[in-house]
Amino acid sequence: MRPVFSPAKWLALLLVSAWSGDAAPLDAGSPTQASVQAVKGRDHWSFQPVKRPPIPETLDTKWARNDLDRFILARLEQDGLRPSAEADRVTWLRRIYFDVIGLPPTPEQVMAFVNDERPDAHERVVDGLLSSPRYGERWAQHWLDVVRYADTDGFEVNTERPNAWPYRDYVIGALNQDIPYDRFIREQLAGDASAVDAATGFLVAAAALLPGQIGADDISKRLARQDSLSEIVGATGQTFLGLSIGCARCHDHKFDPIPQRDYYAIQAFFAGVQYGERPLRSPENDLRRKEIEEIKVRETQIDRALSRLEPMARASSQPRRETNARLNEEIFSPLEAKFVRLTIHDVNLHPTLGVIEPCLDEFEIFTSESAPRNVALTSLGAKVTASGSHTSESHRLEHINDGQYGNSHSWISDEPGRGWVLFELPEKARVGKVIWGRDREGKFADRLATAYTLEAGLSLDAMTTLISVAPLRPAVNPRQTTDRFDPVVAQRLRLSISACTSLQPCLDELEVFTSEPEPRNIALASAGTKVTASSTLPDSPIHQLKHINDGVYGNANSWISNEEGQGWIELEFSSPQKIDRVVWGRDREEKFVDRLATDYRIEVADASGKWSKVAGSQDRQKYVAGDKKVAAFSLVGLNPGETKEATRLLSEKKALEKKTLALSTGLMVYAGSFTNAGETHVLHRGDPEQPRDLVGPAVLTALGSFSLPSDSAEQDRRVALASWIGDPANPLTSRVMVNRIWQGHFGIGLVETSSDFGHTGALPSHPALLDWLAGEFFRSGWSIKHMHRLILMSATFRQSSRINRASQAIDADARLLWRFPARRLDAETIRDSMLSVNDRLNLKMGGAGFNLFNSRGGLNGFPPVESFSNDGLRRMIYAHKVRMERDSVFGAFDCPDAGQSTSRRRPSTSPLQALNLFNSRFTLEESEAFAKRVQTDAGADDGKQISRAYQLAFGREPDSSERQDAEPVLREHGLTTLCRVLFNSNEFLFLP
Amino acid sequence: MKPTPPRTISRADDLSATGHHLLDRRQFLSRTATGLGAIALTNLLGGDGLLAAQRPAVDATRPYAPRAPDFPAKARNVLVIFCAGAVSQLETWDYKPELIKHDGKPLAGGPPVTFQGPAGNLARPQYEFRPRGQSGKMISDLVPHLAQLADEVSFIHSLTSKTNTHGPGENFLSTGFVPDGFPSIGAWVSYALGSENQNLPAFVSIPDPRGVPQASVNNWGAGFLPAEFQGTSFSAKEPLRNLAVPAGILPASDRAARSLLQRLNQRHLEKNPDDGSLAARIASYELAARMQLSVPEISDLSTEPAHILKSYGADDTSNPVKVAFARNCILARRLIEAGVRFVQLFNGAYASGGELNWDGHNKLKEQYDKHAAILDQPAAALVRDLQQRGLLEDTLVVWCTEFGRMPMFQKGSQGRDHNPDGFTCWLAGAGVKRGVSHGRTDELGRKAVENILSIHDLNATILHLLGLNHEALTFEHNGIQRRLTDVHGHVVNEILT
Repeated sequence: MRPVFSPAKWLALLLVSAWSGDAAPLDAGSPTQASVQAVKGRDHWSFQPVKRPPIPETLDTKWARNDLDRFILARLEQDGLRPSAEADRVTWLRRIYFDVIGLPPTPEQVMAFVNDERPDAHERVVDGLLSSPRYGERWAQHWLDVVRYADTDGFEVNTERPNAWPYRDYVIGALNQDIPYDRFIREQLAGDASAVDAATGFLVAAAALLPGQIGADDISKRLARQDSLSEIVGATGQTFLGLSIGCARCHDHKFDPIPQRDYYAIQAFFAGVQYGERPLRSPENDLRRKEIEEIKVRETQIDRALSRLEPMARASSQPRRETNARLNEEIFSPLEAKFVRLTIHDVNLHPTLGVIEPCLDEFEIFTSESAPRNVALTSLGAKVTASGSHTSESHRLEHINDGQYGNSHSWISDEPGRGWVLFELPEKARVGKVIWGRDREGKFADRLATAYTLEAGLSLDAMTTLISVAPLRPAVNPRQTTDRFDPVVAQRLRLSISACTSLQPCLDELEVFTSEPEPRNIALASAGTKVTASSTLPDSPIHQLKHINDGVYGNANSWISNEEGQGWIELEFSSPQKIDRVVWGRDREEKFVDRLATDYRIEVADASGKWSKVAGSQDRQKYVAGDKKVAAFSLVGLNPGETKEATRLLSEKKALEKKTLALSTGLMVYAGSFTNAGETHVLHRGDPEQPRDLVGPAVLTALGSFSLPSDSAEQDRRVALASWIGDPANPLTSRVMVNRIWQGHFGIGLVETSSDFGHTGALPSHPALLDWLAGEFFRSGWSIKHMHRLILMSATFRQSSRINRASQAIDADARLLWRFPARRLDAETIRDSMLSVNDRLNLKMGGAGFNLFNSRGGLNGFPPVESFSNDGLRRMIYAHKVRMERDSVFGAFDCPDAGQSTSRRRPSTSPLQALNLFNSRFTLEESEAFAKRVQTDAGADDGKQISRAYQLAFGREPDSSERQDAEPVLREHGLTTLCRVLFNSNEFLFLP
Repeated sequence: MKPTPPRTISRADDLSATGHHLLDRRQFLSRTATGLGAIALTNLLGGDGLLAAQRPAVDATRPYAPRAPDFPAKARNVLVIFCAGAVSQLETWDYKPELIKHDGKPLAGGPPVTFQGPAGNLARPQYEFRPRGQSGKMISDLVPHLAQLADEVSFIHSLTSKTNTHGPGENFLSTGFVPDGFPSIGAWVSYALGSENQNLPAFVSIPDPRGVPQASVNNWGAGFLPAEFQGTSFSAKEPLRNLAVPAGILPASDRAARSLLQRLNQRHLEKNPDDGSLAARIASYELAARMQLSVPEISDLSTEPAHILKSYGADDTSNPVKVAFARNCILARRLIEAGVRFVQLFNGAYASGGELNWDGHNKLKEQYDKHAAILDQPAAALVRDLQQRGLLEDTLVVWCTEFGRMPMFQKGSQGRDHNPDGFTCWLAGAGVKRGVSHGRTDELGRKAVENILSIHDLNATILHLLGLNHEALTFEHNGIQRRLTDVHGHVVNEILT
């Protein structure tokens, strides 16, 4: 159980007085400020206490199954209407499955129910569905529509809120557990008081401007703050009370008894609420954090070990020696030799295969005589050995010194990128030149050694290095690039970029490590380091200079220069330090690879201000965009022992990174963050530049007199407000929620305007029923599932949806419920049902959402994902919801855009829906999957296939004429075509 | 408004017999949802407020049926040329000789900090201005082709916005509200008037070839209006998504699927007679099929003669972005010609340090040279082409941008910061005076000082020209009868004929 709500306790005492008396206390509070209109409106029906109406008598005494039905029937009889006949069992079952869990029953479930003769067969279905976790997934969507939940910030940048989803999961879980509605309210407004942090996602579900999107001037900042508070006030009023309190920001409410002062009194309850992320507390998360800490320690050790194996940078800018595929002449000071060895450290990249085994077509060793002889030839008695050879007809070790040129007479190593050949001359000789080539016929240019060492000597223990071409360091890497150099004392360090892959260069972090046994990153601003730059892209919240050394990785925390292709960053350390390593990246989160610095140099200045270069890009390989073959850590140039060590470290690191990622999900939450509540003023015309009277937290004067002192603690305010809203005496709370539940089942509420119970809202079609339900709701201990059960077990819900013309003439929309109002399924239900029929639906619950778009905004916008697999086949409520960007196929089916609160989806019908559902790749792929499933279930027989397809899609058998329609299509155009049609059919798309 | 011949695509298939039968039978409609039957219930329940009154009443089974305006309209169509990123009024239409004199001096009493940071000194217009046309209107050399329209246009120099941030500013311009989630003006118009052409969407939005504007889909979204009123987005380059028969599906199979679907739905309807929503769905597949013919036809510019391509600059191979924008302009004309009610044509994309739109913070002149080369000739040719075809008589053209720019340069830069306090837009065509200017900013172009107008006034005026009373066009959303113009807006009669 929840811990005792201590602040609520004392508040409860206060509240008793707030609700004493019958109707809204006209004399209570301080209505002196309220306009005449506002006071006058207090006699509105929804402001009156919930009454307990008598159960009406009806002429027909047999039809009703419960009291709810008696209210419906009495109203129908009043207008001479009759309820419709009971729907058949299949229809009822399909209806209740779609309604309660948003998925169709399987043919087996249909059969089981049709044949279930037990008297409580219906009840068993209802209870089964309400206890299914699928129920929460379906009904949470109704709530999230109202809350305008999304996984992005909205507005122009629409940055993702990677940790908003715990709120979505909270709602799903709360519904599944049937937590009492008053607690549901309390947790969403003040869950932080009972360690249900995620629930306060409610407070900050609105779109919000990020700091950098708000003008630098104070006026803009105050306006943005006021706008974000208005969202909270508006959402609280609409969601729980069904009142448009937000209307009173600029003036007294035009229609409802809400003076402008009341608006600010409500705002005062939220004065300390901030938008942003906060750690999500839970015992499990505490353990995870601890484990991540431990992993980090180990990762640091690994990084340290690996950095010792990073190739050293050569500061020299001397042009590096290029090798030639045809022929390379190595001339050196003549020396006496019996042995000559060529060790290859690296090769050029094969255009498609990357690093592959080096090849030599001939290797010649010349004496330093006036008529030099090639003493390497096997015909002269030289012997050759190699690190290893890949042998085929063309490639053999013997070919290397057989005097024949060309690829078909060559040697190939058996190791990618490396290998050595050793020549033992028949007798010692004075040698002065070596010539080698990869293919002297000029046909092949791959497999060319680019880094190597040439040695010679009289014995293997006494070899002299004649030529050494060090391997190029690996190309820069968008994720992370390390420059290692000999330890040097630095007071300042400058990274200068002179070319990048596109636009202006971007760095997400620049780190500088000391050469101590326990290296420290002294670049961090927190270490006292100051940073300057040539320029910084203006007008961007995510690209700022301070992000370069804030210890936070990723594009969303990066620096971009304001110069095309160039820019520099300079760090000044708090004191001179001995350093030996610089690590920088474009995007450690590996989402972005553009703007990557490709030409750069790193210089340091000592305390005296003398600059010297320590590393640069000149000894790196060329960066090839999109080349995944270039590993993050290169093994080039390592000896076998080092290679083994590095490989082991790398694989351990990879495993740890994967583990950390899994552990990190769900540690933070985008939910309310709370600071001290500042003062709240009435704002003339809602304008923060025109503050008027100071107000303290107080409830709506039309509904009560409860208030708190202006200096009340922040959390106490929200707890108090939640208690006031969730009090059974509040006439709006229970009515509004039972009406939402009713709307979920029948498509339209007893009050059509489900977020407006004020004067401009609709009157209830069944006022007594609404009150009876509201009373039933809090008498049940605010059990939402209790309300579902009442409705689902009713005769009203069990009616056929068939249209009766006589009744239709009187009540076209069936608002009086003379039939069950059939309607098109919601977008999510359609998508989920297609996947369910295919048996492809992935029922993984909770966690970060799957992508409907290939990128999450930025320069790439939101190009839709067209083909889904794995997580993409989860229920649609688990999609990463991008505010304002509707899903490319199902968005057109009235998916709310999460811009403003959606109290009810108004089903529309448009040709775009038809185009999307008929032609999208999603439908085609799912039609194929559907066909495959039918084939698996039914075998090759046409008739059986048609039967099975109908059972799966519609829960019934096809009749003979439907078979006749389907058969030729199946024969001539295949089962997939039939499946595509079924997915588009009205029978599939409508709640029956 | 003069009677004009119907402008529809010729080759459209008609509705099937079923579609006609279902949708055109008055008797039938009277029984369907939100038809007359609903009114019967209102009376029956006797409650004034039981069903919130909507203006207009939309028949859910025929959302695109043409609906009558409140009063005779001057304009039948609207073309909005939307320049994203905030075009500087000082480099285009708002001539400020005083600013030349004060070049390099600080602005006395000016804001020390503007949107991006510290303000610098006043900076002269970066282009020469000269008198244009008979009116002698001073317009800059940045837009020489558009400048030639001076005698056709009503300039409004005194617009103001509520925000100095691009995204919210675009929201405000297109939806009348700063937050996300409100219906765009095109959606309001579709909701109010339905469609003239039953083969094409009522509202088409053409994104810039370089990308979408900062408030992206908000500019053509339906917000809380029914989804069918949202703008359909496609351009000469990017076709409408899911329009074509999918690759890998043989035409014969596609036809077989359609006809089987028709039969299946027909049988289902027979079992559930009189259900308008089922009938509407059947009809929607027929409308979709007609769009599959008419949208590619209208987007196919190969039938445009060479001189037309040339006049729009669509032959300027030296500037591919200009060519792509010019093609969008031609598409816009074709859509107007075919009777698409509301066409929104974007020039300028998302935030990019001013590289891809008009957000000239740093290198204003350098970037504006590039942007104007894309906008100027094609947009001017579009207006001229509409005029020559007689379409301008019942088409309203609106050139607009989300806000203007400061008369100062930003400190340490060669560009101007955001200025929502006084900027320019212009209108031309149906019902609009020719060659006039309305409203004025101060001598330095910092703030509107005469006939100060808000975006609400601009939007009220657009609706007015379409025969709509902006105060009467409402939709109930969460307790509020929402309007495009919120609780504001006055028609700018001074520029109307």
